[in-house]
Amino acid sequence: MHPALSVIFFTVTAGAGYGVLFLLGISRLTGLTPDASPDQVTLMGVVGLVLVTAGLLSSTFHLANPKNAWRSFVRFRTSWLSREAVFAVLFYPVCLIWLACDFFMGNTTTTNFLGLLTAFLCIVILICTGMIYASLKTIRQWHTALTPVNFVLLGLLLGALILGFMLASQGLSTATLMSVALGVVVLAALAKIVYFYWIGQPAGPTINTALGFTRATVRLLDVGNSSDTFHNKEFGYQVDKVKLIWLRTISMILMALLPLLLISGVFGEVGSSTLLLAALSAYAGVFVERWLFFAEARHVVNLYHGFQRT
Amino acid sequence: MSALPEFENHAEQTVKTTTCYMCACRCGIKVTLEGNEIRFIQGNPKHPVNKGVLCAKGNAGIMKQKSPAKLTQPLVRKAGTERGAGEFEPISWDKALTLLTERLRKIRETDPKRLAFFTGRDQMQALTGFWASQFGTINWAAHGGFCSVNMAAGGLYMTGQSFWEFGDPDWDHAKYFMLWGVAEDHASNPIKIGLEKLKRRGAKFVAINPVRTGYQAIADEWIGIRPGTDGLLALSFAHVLLKNEQFDWDFLTRYTNSTQLVIHAPGTSDHGLLLRNDEGELQVWNQATDSVASWNDSSHDDSIQAALFGEFLTPGAKGGKTNGVADCTQVKTVMTHLAEKYLSEEYAPENVAATVGIDAETIERLALEMAHVAFKETITIETPWTDWTGRRHERFIGRPVAMHAMRGISAHSNGFQTCRSIHLLQVMLGAVDCPGSHLAKPPFPKHVAPPIKPAKAMAPNTPLASPPLGFPMSPEDLVVDANGEPMRIDKAYSWEAPIANHGMMHMVINNAVKGDPYPIDTLILFMANMSWNSSMNTAEIQDMLREKDEHGDYKLPFIVTSDAFHSEMVNFSDLVLPDTTYLERFDTISMLDRPISEPHSACDSIRQPVIELDRDVRPWQEVLVDIGTRLKFPALTDADGGAKFADYKDFITNWEKAPGIGFLAGWRGKDGDEHMVGAPNPDQWQAYQDNDCFFEHKLPPEQRYYRFANKDYLEWAKSVGFNGHAGPITIELYSEVLQKFRLAGQGLYDGPQPNNDTDRARLVEYFDPLPDWYVPLEEQRVDNDKYGFHAVNQRPMFMYHSWDSQNAWLRQIMAQNYLYMNRERGLGMGIDDLDWVWVESHHGKIRCQVKLMEGCNPDTVWTWNAIGKQSGAWGLSDKAPESTKGFLMNHLISELLPSKDGERGLTNSDPVTGQAAWYDLKVNIYKAEKGETGVYPSFKNIKRLPDMAESPTVLHYHTHEAVNLERSMEDALSRGHLPTGEKR
Amino acid sequence: MKLGLVIDLDTCVGCHACAVACKQWNTSGTTGPLTDYDPYGENPSGVWFNRIRSFEVDEYPNNKTVNTPMSCMHCDDAACVTVCPTGASYKREEDGIVLVDQSKCMGCNLCAWACPYGARELDEDAGVMKKCTLCVDRIYDEALPKEERQPACVMTCPTNARFFGDFDDPNSEVSTMVRERSGYSMMPEVGYNPVNKYLPPRQRPKAPTVEKKEAASGQSLIGKWMKRQKDAFNDFGKGAR
Ligand SMILES: Nc1nc2c(c(=O)[nH]1)N[C@H]1C(S)=C(S)[C@@H](COP(=O)(O)OP(=O)(O)OC[C@H]3O[C@@H](n4cnc5c(=O)[nH]c(N)nc54)[C@H](O)[C@@H]3O)O[C@H]1N2
Ligand SMILES: Nc1nc2c(c(=O)[nH]1)N[C@H]1C(S)=C(S)[C@@H](COP(=O)(O)OP(=O)(O)OC[C@H]3O[C@@H](n4cnc5c(=O)[nH]c(N)nc54)[C@H](O)[C@@H]3O)O[C@H]1N2
Ligand code: SF4
Ligand code: SF4
Ligand code: SF4
Ligand code: SF4
Ligand code: SF4
Ligand SMILES: [Mo]
Repeated sequence: MHPALSVIFFTVTAGAGYGVLFLLGISRLTGLTPDASPDQVTLMGVVGLVLVTAGLLSSTFHLANPKNAWRSFVRFRTSWLSREAVFAVLFYPVCLIWLACDFFMGNTTTTNFLGLLTAFLCIVILICTGMIYASLKTIRQWHTALTPVNFVLLGLLLGALILGFMLASQGLSTATLMSVALGVVVLAALAKIVYFYWIGQPAGPTINTALGFTRATVRLLDVGNSSDTFHNKEFGYQVDKVKLIWLRTISMILMALLPLLLISGVFGEVGSSTLLLAALSAYAGVFVERWLFFAEARHVVNLYHGFQRT
Repeated sequence: MSALPEFENHAEQTVKTTTCYMCACRCGIKVTLEGNEIRFIQGNPKHPVNKGVLCAKGNAGIMKQKSPAKLTQPLVRKAGTERGAGEFEPISWDKALTLLTERLRKIRETDPKRLAFFTGRDQMQALTGFWASQFGTINWAAHGGFCSVNMAAGGLYMTGQSFWEFGDPDWDHAKYFMLWGVAEDHASNPIKIGLEKLKRRGAKFVAINPVRTGYQAIADEWIGIRPGTDGLLALSFAHVLLKNEQFDWDFLTRYTNSTQLVIHAPGTSDHGLLLRNDEGELQVWNQATDSVASWNDSSHDDSIQAALFGEFLTPGAKGGKTNGVADCTQVKTVMTHLAEKYLSEEYAPENVAATVGIDAETIERLALEMAHVAFKETITIETPWTDWTGRRHERFIGRPVAMHAMRGISAHSNGFQTCRSIHLLQVMLGAVDCPGSHLAKPPFPKHVAPPIKPAKAMAPNTPLASPPLGFPMSPEDLVVDANGEPMRIDKAYSWEAPIANHGMMHMVINNAVKGDPYPIDTLILFMANMSWNSSMNTAEIQDMLREKDEHGDYKLPFIVTSDAFHSEMVNFSDLVLPDTTYLERFDTISMLDRPISEPHSACDSIRQPVIELDRDVRPWQEVLVDIGTRLKFPALTDADGGAKFADYKDFITNWEKAPGIGFLAGWRGKDGDEHMVGAPNPDQWQAYQDNDCFFEHKLPPEQRYYRFANKDYLEWAKSVGFNGHAGPITIELYSEVLQKFRLAGQGLYDGPQPNNDTDRARLVEYFDPLPDWYVPLEEQRVDNDKYGFHAVNQRPMFMYHSWDSQNAWLRQIMAQNYLYMNRERGLGMGIDDLDWVWVESHHGKIRCQVKLMEGCNPDTVWTWNAIGKQSGAWGLSDKAPESTKGFLMNHLISELLPSKDGERGLTNSDPVTGQAAWYDLKVNIYKAEKGETGVYPSFKNIKRLPDMAESPTVLHYHTHEAVNLERSMEDALSRGHLPTGEKR
Repeated sequence: MKLGLVIDLDTCVGCHACAVACKQWNTSGTTGPLTDYDPYGENPSGVWFNRIRSFEVDEYPNNKTVNTPMSCMHCDDAACVTVCPTGASYKREEDGIVLVDQSKCMGCNLCAWACPYGARELDEDAGVMKKCTLCVDRIYDEALPKEERQPACVMTCPTNARFFGDFDDPNSEVSTMVRERSGYSMMPEVGYNPVNKYLPPRQRPKAPTVEKKEAASGQSLIGKWMKRQKDAFNDFGKGAR
């Protein structure tokens, strides 16, 4: 699939924002940020919201006809994109009220309940985003439970590191958060490794099933157009094998290995600059990961354009 | 069902019928218009040719009309600029025609042959040929010589009917269909309609073609033959048929010349001629009396038992005569000659297998399959009919084996004889114009050969006494001077190409520039892209068009082009006369010309303008009538020089070729109630317009088959002017015409003979009176180890030669062509998909990109024809893939054969008919170096014409605001999953 | 009603007529115009609803070329519809035609991603998704003669390889053909239950041949025929032609 930068930026950045807000939302109950004051929480929440908003705005660049974007709430019943949109919009008032409560009322049951609700919506939205892709039977590299798992874990990973940086830069304690982050990084890396293994297995439709001639080799002779079409622009993207291995390695190093080493104190004390580095590295790593997520996805329609299998 | 909005405002639409001209198939179309814009073009279901269907090109007519390459005004080359530099200035029609008329007047007054008028893919040769005759020049021909004259001549000199546009397989009855070397052909839609009929009926379809695409894709059996060897395959089939005694005795005896007697008198001028009596009547051997009898009598009189086989000696002593027949003459029946020749082991499947690239068992099986269908699956149509002798037959008996062949056969230098070899098979099987076989389309069949001789006498200001093109029957009919030198600029009907029935357009520029046989003054080209895809050796042809003599004058002084679009040829013209598009003009598709008839009906048709002109262009038809009137052609002016006809329409209505016969056959007579023959009808055009622009005369059932021998048909055909007499059309398996030329080559002919050894040798070698096969000429002369591949072309179904690259829809299907190779063969040479390769012939080289495929004979490479374009032509940008990556094979094809010591340059054509041998090409292929990409050779960018608009960068063609089919918000909100809300 | 097409791979010659007819009709049709970009330039492309691809099955010399026209299959389980967030994509309840309401689409491409058959193309200029409408603006247009109330691609196909009809009606031409010719769906494993069906190329039984004669030399055969020809001649008239 053609990796559109607007979509990559959207899913990575908004994902990070949801990660931040999820962790903040449950922080009071879980003691992730034991020493943060309500206005500090609110401030960090606003940063999370900015990330989410930047991501969402970017997503509209992907629309060819954004003036109809408002209509995307209509098909909640069947469309994960619609669900994502609905929850994303629902999310704003909930999140804002929560942050306001936190700011004005501090640590109350209501605040905590709203925080939880926000956190819940964050996860739901991350799952919806993942499901947009996972629901597509046409792309076997996406059509797996690993997709939403991955979106959630990577959102949390980025969220944890960004939140950690924000805590550290305000001189707040990051210990609990870091142990959570450590776990998330390991899980996310594992999930990604499983994913790579899984998409490496031959499976899915082949040109034989696509055409209905299963007893002999089938090769494309003529695709019926000698210049570009919507299909080869949108679906025809292919990455060179060597480049692929490189990018996978880079993304794993940046999003998992380096942050892991940084936060586990291998390069010295874990301060705000370490965490900033970890967050930036992870962001870059996830960006590459997300690019690969698209670039490695092979739409079945390519079978009709010359691919032998998906 | 929810109510639907009204999508179309039918009240504002009009529907007009006319005839498509996106190609020469000439289908009937219905054009729906909104104002002057085309909403939709569809097939006319009532039309005899296409019966409602339309091909890709026909469906893209809108984009032809929208082409940015449309010419808009007459143009002259700017004084002082070089030809081909593309510097033009507008000129008014009046000035343009005055200029041209003055020039032509001088030529006509002095030496009419200094005008050469050649036309390409047109279908109005009756008009252009008439015009040339009236002008008085023999230098006229249409595209047939570089197209497929081999098919026309092969058929007309043997069966009186032919492949190409002149006949169709009997799609409704054939049980076995063999297609030889056809990718698309002129009967573009009819063949497709027919193939479907065949397949639905369960008939077997065998395709003989080095490439498996298009029609061959749906064949039941694909025979991937090595190019140029079909003749040998056909004769091997004949061998198998003979060996197994599978031939139609009855048919051969009755309808062919196989019982006629060939004189055996080696070393004399009679050798190989047919035995005749003093009255000129052909003779047979009467077994009943052991003496000769006339063939004609034997047909009528059952007591004469004509021998099919045998070698005889006429009675008496040398020098004497009995009943007008020379005594003591050794004779052998045609059939004996034929059997002896083809039974020879040289044609045995196992001996031809390696050459044709097909295993012997397959060859034998296919022949025996055809025999089975012909003789064991015979069909009958229970319609009584009468043969020319008056014998009544209760039914039509059909041998349901049909064949069709085209350029895969004709575009080789052995194509004429190969075509004859295929006809031979049909004749042996008795499968000619009978139910289930190949059927002629009126005005065919014609007598073998049609009794028209090519004109040679010319005089100033005088029309020719006969048409420029005709059918030579002996060396006397050649168009050569007293020294035996060619008289036509294309050297058609010379010793180099004696039966060049359609002229040799591909030689005109070459000869004219060399002044061989003489220089000319003006060349008029109509609808022919001679500086590009329709010339061999394109690059050098462009140089020739620029070539100057020692005075600095162009060797070809003046070139006039009638084109509708900015083609490569327009760029090389001195005067450009812009034509209308097919949707903007009146036109006739006449029975005097290439018929649109169907096997069982005689048809003709017209075009009418369906949209209004928005440019300063004129139909070429009008221009021809106008110039002819200005030049005072006798047929167009009266005694005091006044115009006889107001315009083209008036001319078509009132001009008569012979009393009662004109361009259009329908609705003749003063009241429009006479058909085929009748006085001019002033309302004839209107009658056509009222009848969807076509006329169809359906043959009554008893006239539909065996027309070469069918009394009712033959009499009718004579009465409507198709044939000169109502006698039978005898199929000539043995061609005495060819034998006469061969005798001339041997120095034995009582009459003209060539004056040099080259021509003599060719006549001896290639003019076998029986169908024959020889290695194509280029292959005979090149190093086949070096040039190991055959290189051929195919027509893409969605493009017409050069003229569809300007079509925004069609070029999305293909804007670049590739060189296709057999996958295994390519990989074996280290060549993979999309690699750039050099392709080299004895003549030149090109660079192009490869695609590998399975369905390709391993010794063959091929590409789609005429996709490559010169940069800047056709309204395309200079970055268009057509000019940066697309290529022509023409650069590799020389118009002359590889030279041999001491021999003059010989045309790269069939030595009998002069048909251009495009597909004889042999090439060598090797990978280009790294970094060597892009097409080679590439040509200078062609300049835009004055006032030509920039081509648009985006198109939103539509004739009205779209009426969107809304989905209600309620439905969008409420509907669960799919329609029923449940997953099925 | 379940409307759709049957395409006969046994007769399709890959001529692209249906593709261009579709383009022609639909550019002024209900979802027109079908924009063309760079029409006379380096990379001519545009919106089409129907594209023809050719494949080769098996290898030389056993190869067979198969031409496959592909347009919207009007799937029963059309995920292109379920994924659409705006409700622009829908499958009509009454006849199963899958359409895009041009006024509602936001051009997110998701439906195109969901389609296995490449049947949807974004009009980059208009910003909306376009696809085969099954010529809804022809098939119900009562101003057209009855026999013309058919999709443009079906009417034009020179080899009559395309059939339009109601698959819910077991006696319709399309249902019968699918039954009798083992009509099949492309890529069934994705589970969209396409309505359009393809008829596979036919396997024809071996053709009979006339029995082979004993080998004989050419001269002996001609000798034999010379002896026999009198009888042969006298046989004329019986099977006479
Ligand atoms: N769409 C479309 N239709 C056209 C035209 C067009 O440009 N486009 N052009 C029109 C014109 S002018 C003409 S003359 C006709 C020509 O129509 P066709 O006769 O169909 O001509 P080609 O496309 O040249 O096809 C020649 C076929 O012969 C095969 N072939 C080549 N060499 C050999 C051989 O030695 N033996 C055998 N058995 N096969 C061989 C090639 O692979 C190819 O399939 O088409 C007319 N119709
Ligand atoms: N390598 C190779 N070369 C070949 C062939 C091949 O198979 N291989 N095939 C050969 C054959 S069979 C043929 S017939 C020739 C065809 O060659 P041409 O007869 O030259 O055919 P086109 O390229 O179609 O060019 C005809 C010209 O007519 C113009 N034209 C189109 N419509 C109109 C109109 O309405 N009025 C006027 N006045 N002009 C119009 C076009 O713009 C174009 O310039 O090519 C030959 N060349
Ligand atoms: S075959 Fe196609 S282009 Fe040719 S006349 Fe018919 S519809 Fe027109
Ligand atoms: S029009 Fe018919 S034959 Fe041509 S590509 Fe379409 S389905 Fe095939
Ligand atoms: S073919 Fe594609 S666009 Fe058509 S209904 Fe099926 S999934 Fe949707
Ligand atoms: S592109 Fe349009 S029709 Fe397709 S899913 Fe998005 S909104 Fe729906
Ligand atoms: S049914 Fe209509 S819209 Fe669909 S492919 Fe055919 S012509 Fe195009
Ligand atoms: Mo031609």
